[in-house]
Formats: sequence, structure tokens, C-alpha cells
Amino acid sequence: MNIATHLPSFILGIPLLFAFLTPIANKFSKEIRNAVFLTGLLLTGLFVGLMAYEVYTTGGWVYIFGAQDPVGELTTESLFRITFVADGFSTLATLTIIITAIGAAFYSLGYMKESPGMGKYYTLFLLTLAGVNGMVLTSDLFNLFVWFEVTSIASCALVAYHNERGKSVEAALKYMIISVVGGLLLLVSIGLFYGEYGVLNYALIGDSVHGSFIDLLAIGIIMVILAMKASSVPMHMWAPDAYAEAPEPITPFIAITSLGALFVLFRLIFFVFRGAVEPPALGTILIFLGVLSMFVGVSMALKQSDIKRLIAYLSVSQIGYMMMAVGVGFATLDTADYGSFGAMAIEGGFFHMINDGVYKALLFLSAAAVIYATKIRDLNKLGGLAHNMPYTTFFFIIGALSIAGIPPLSGFSSKLLIYESVYLYHPILAIIALVVSIITLALVAKVFFNAFLGPDQKMSKGEVPSSMLIAMGILTAVVILFSLFPHYVVSEIVVPAMESLGVGA
Amino acid sequence: MIDIVLRDIWSPILFIIVGLLVTLIAYLFYKLGNSEYRKTRYKGDPFISGNRPPKDLQGIHVGGDNLYWGFTHALKKFFEPLVKGHTGIVNDYVYWFVVTLAVVLVYLYIAM
Repeated sequence: MNIATHLPSFILGIPLLFAFLTPIANKFSKEIRNAVFLTGLLLTGLFVGLMAYEVYTTGGWVYIFGAQDPVGELTTESLFRITFVADGFSTLATLTIIITAIGAAFYSLGYMKESPGMGKYYTLFLLTLAGVNGMVLTSDLFNLFVWFEVTSIASCALVAYHNERGKSVEAALKYMIISVVGGLLLLVSIGLFYGEYGVLNYALIGDSVHGSFIDLLAIGIIMVILAMKASSVPMHMWAPDAYAEAPEPITPFIAITSLGALFVLFRLIFFVFRGAVEPPALGTILIFLGVLSMFVGVSMALKQSDIKRLIAYLSVSQIGYMMMAVGVGFATLDTADYGSFGAMAIEGGFFHMINDGVYKALLFLSAAAVIYATKIRDLNKLGGLAHNMPYTTFFFIIGALSIAGIPPLSGFSSKLLIYESVYLYHPILAIIALVVSIITLALVAKVFFNAFLGPDQKMSKGEVPSSMLIAMGILTAVVILFSLFPHYVVSEIVVPAMESLGVGA
Repeated sequence: MIDIVLRDIWSPILFIIVGLLVTLIAYLFYKLGNSEYRKTRYKGDPFISGNRPPKDLQGIHVGGDNLYWGFTHALKKFFEPLVKGHTGIVNDYVYWFVVTLAVVLVYLYIAM
């Protein structure tokens, strides 16, 4: 048996193991703790890379955890075993997650150097990584619930890390309440599926669903829970609170848990729910939530003067693009329109997911550099930072232009696919997407003008530490790489992800 | 139907090459200009509505809330209820979740 078949279990097991080694290492010294943490993270990254290589060269596989033949057929004996899927879609998701995680980790080393309780911080970091990777890799509903809870608990604790600040604890409490409500209802819907079909595996449920009332109830609940976790409007309100109050280096990683929920939602829609509900019905829900998220997210961002809250609302707005694009693609499934523009919409949506994960992390980390250097997050009080922080200014510009969809950056490439395809579905969707993009540009211009331009007000003594610059540099390099070779990203990463969900490009 | 598929003709590298060429042409035009630059009394100084810049530079930078004030003020009938809806109260967060769930379930039931 090929050792590579066990890669999904390594991707989950390594961060879990190192999460519990980190507090032990912390007893010895900071350096050993940091080394243990980084080893766990980089090993996970290595296994994600190896899984990507295997998937792209030999094809994907379903991994049955603990079975004698882990890549064999699901039998009665292995029916209730946990299964993980290593395919193009889970590779797209894990790559997005690990790139952001590595950026956030290197950033944390510099930013949180003097902070207390870092043993716990890194433990929670690795637990969140394991949780969100588990969410996107699993193909078992109950196991999804377990990883959903692991992610929620670990990320809530991270949001509350600055427990000396009342606002952080309040934000974490709100996030926890929302996550608990979502988690419990997720369990209810899993119970509904299990009660009806006696199985928990995605593929087996997908084969069984037929659109009964119980199916619709379970599908509706799961969709809304995952949309809430993805911070879709009108269930987004927890996100700006949590993102703004979480420790600055971890914010992009908290945001990636939202993207993880969106990955799960899309897998379930294509893989499980497709047989129960007509695609146009589910597609319409996604389009509606997407348009609402885009519009409300960007409108609320206009009213923000806190740099992190502003980017948090932009993040909500970007989630809308992906929901709308994938919704359009899904709505056209099984029709002639799918070949004309539906596939392109899904391509755009999936490409935007990996883009968004990276440039949003870059924006959050540049904002964190501003806060680190000035201890100020109010845009009314900031100004002139470009004089003393040229590298941070450059990194911010790259992230800002990409999120605004300015050519030749990667955000433009994915948005071009979205504009072109949704226009053919309904022109008003493309118009809304363009208007939202223009307002996004105006908003990042506002942040750039307020924080970086203007006379030097001596707010910062200079650039941030090199580990933070390296983290932003890594993310900038990825954005530039995606910007220069968008066709390669689409053909080598996005198209295999679509094919693994049973939809061609 | 759009005849030209934009994604097929979009090439970032070509875009950058064209951008560099345009920059080069612009630079050549710039070089054709008068090269004799003589700094007179006010030439090159910041110009703020005809006034010399104040010594205290703090006040001349437009703050975050002021930058798009005109836009948000003109649309205050849109923004006021929107901001008011974001109460920050967790009960409201759960309320919106329940409302969305109800709407989605009713829609799915009707659509099927």
C-alpha cells in the first residue's frame, strides 16, 4: 500500500499532535516552543503539498480511516468509519488554508513576541488549523460536526485571547453563541439525515436523497448554518466583531475558517444536495445571499473608521462574490447555459476563493503592521506612514489593488470570470458586482490615503520586525504569482476542483 | 451572447509589457520637454488653495470619516437604517439567523 494514501490523516494528525506538544515545549523555553509550533505547521504544509502532488498526478482518492484497506470500497464493515476525500476540491481548500496559516504563523512570531500565554496561543492556532482542514477534508456528516466544533471552540478562544480587553471577550462570546446555535442545529440536521437513511457518508446520502420534506428541512438548516459560518449577510454580524477583536496576526486565520465553511457548503451542494433539490432553487438561494453580502458588506465598510472593521466588512462583501458566482453556475447545471457560462461562473467563484484567502490575509496583516507600529486603529487619527514604512505600504497596495479587482492583479482575473459569466445569467448581477468592486476600490483608497499618505506625523519609528515583513512578503509573492499566471491556476487547481465535484469546466 | 470571451484574451504578462511600453513612450515625451528647470521662489512648494502650508501639518490630512462624508451624508436615508440594524446585540444576531432559516425553508418547500 502506498504511504501517500495516508496523507489526509497526516494533514489532520500532525497539527493535532503538535498542538498538544506545544504547551509541553513551552515549559522549556520560548525558542523550543516556537520551533515545535513551526515544525508542526510546516510539516502540515509539506503534507498538503504532497497531497496536492498526488491528486494532480495520479488522481484523488477516498480515505477510510482505520479500515484494513483505507482506499477500498465502502463496505458494511466500513460504513460507519470516518472517510476523508483527497481530491481537487479538498486540495484547493487545504492549499488556501495552509498559505494563510503560514503567513499568520510567521507574522505571529514577530507580533506576539512579548505577549503572555503564547503556549496556549500556538496550541489554539494548530487546533484551528486541524479543525478547518478536517472540515474541508471529511466526507462524513458527523465528522463534519466534530471538526466544526473543534474549529469553533479553538477560534473562539483565539478571539478572546486579549481577555484583559472587555471587547475581545464580548466578541468571543457572541461568536461562541452563534457557533453553538449553528453546531446544535447542524447536529439536528445530521440526525434527520441519519434517521431517514441510516448513513452519514456524503456519497451514500447523496445517492439516497430524493427531495422528501425531511431532506428539505435538513438541507435548509445545513445551508443556513454554513452560510452563517461563512459570514454571509444577514448572518454576518458576528464576523466584524470577531475579526476586529481577535489578535491582529490571527485575524486572517479566523477569516479562513469562514472560507472553510464556504468550501464545505459548496461540496455539500454539488455532492449531496444536488439529488434532492432542483439546482435553480439552490442556486437562487446562493445568488440572493451572495448579492446581499456583496452590497451590505461594502455599504457597511463605508461607515467604518476602524481599519480592521473596515477590512472585515470588505471580507463579508468578498464572500458574496463567491456565493453569487457559484450560485449562478449551480443554477445552470443540467442546462445548455452551463456550457455557455455556468462553468465559467464556477471557475470564477473557485478562483476567487483562493485569491480571497491570500489577499485578504495580506490586507489584514498590513493593517496589523499599522496597528503594531502606531498602536492606533482609527483612520481619523492615522496618516503619513508611507514615509517610515515603505515595505508595509507596498504590501498593502498589492493586497488593496487585488481585492479591488484592478488589473493585472489576481483579483481582476477571478472577477473577470465572474463579471462575464453572471452578466449572461442576468446583467443586473454583473452591474451590482461592478459597482461593489468600484466601492471596494474607493474604500481601500480611503485606507491608503488615511493611513499611509499625507505628511509624516512621526507616528511610527520605522518598519515592523523582519518576521512580519517576511510573512507579508510570502503572501505578496503568492498574490503576484497568481496575478501573472491566472490561466495556470485555473487549469491546474480550479478545474480539477470542479471535476472532483462532478462538474466539468 | 458575448462574441469575444474576455478570459481567453486576458493576459497579465501582455498587460504589463504594454504598460511598460506606454510608460517608456511617456518618458520619452517627458524627455522632449524643456530640461532647464530653475527653482524660483514658490516653484515646487505644496499649494493648498493658494495658501502656504501651515507649520503644524496635523490639520491638513483629511480624516477617515470625512473622506466620503458627502457620499454617505447624501445617502443617509439608506445608511441610517443599515447602521441601526447592526446593533451589536447577540440576540439580534440569532434573530437574523432564525429569520434567514425560516425564509430558506419556506422557499425550498415552495420551490419543490
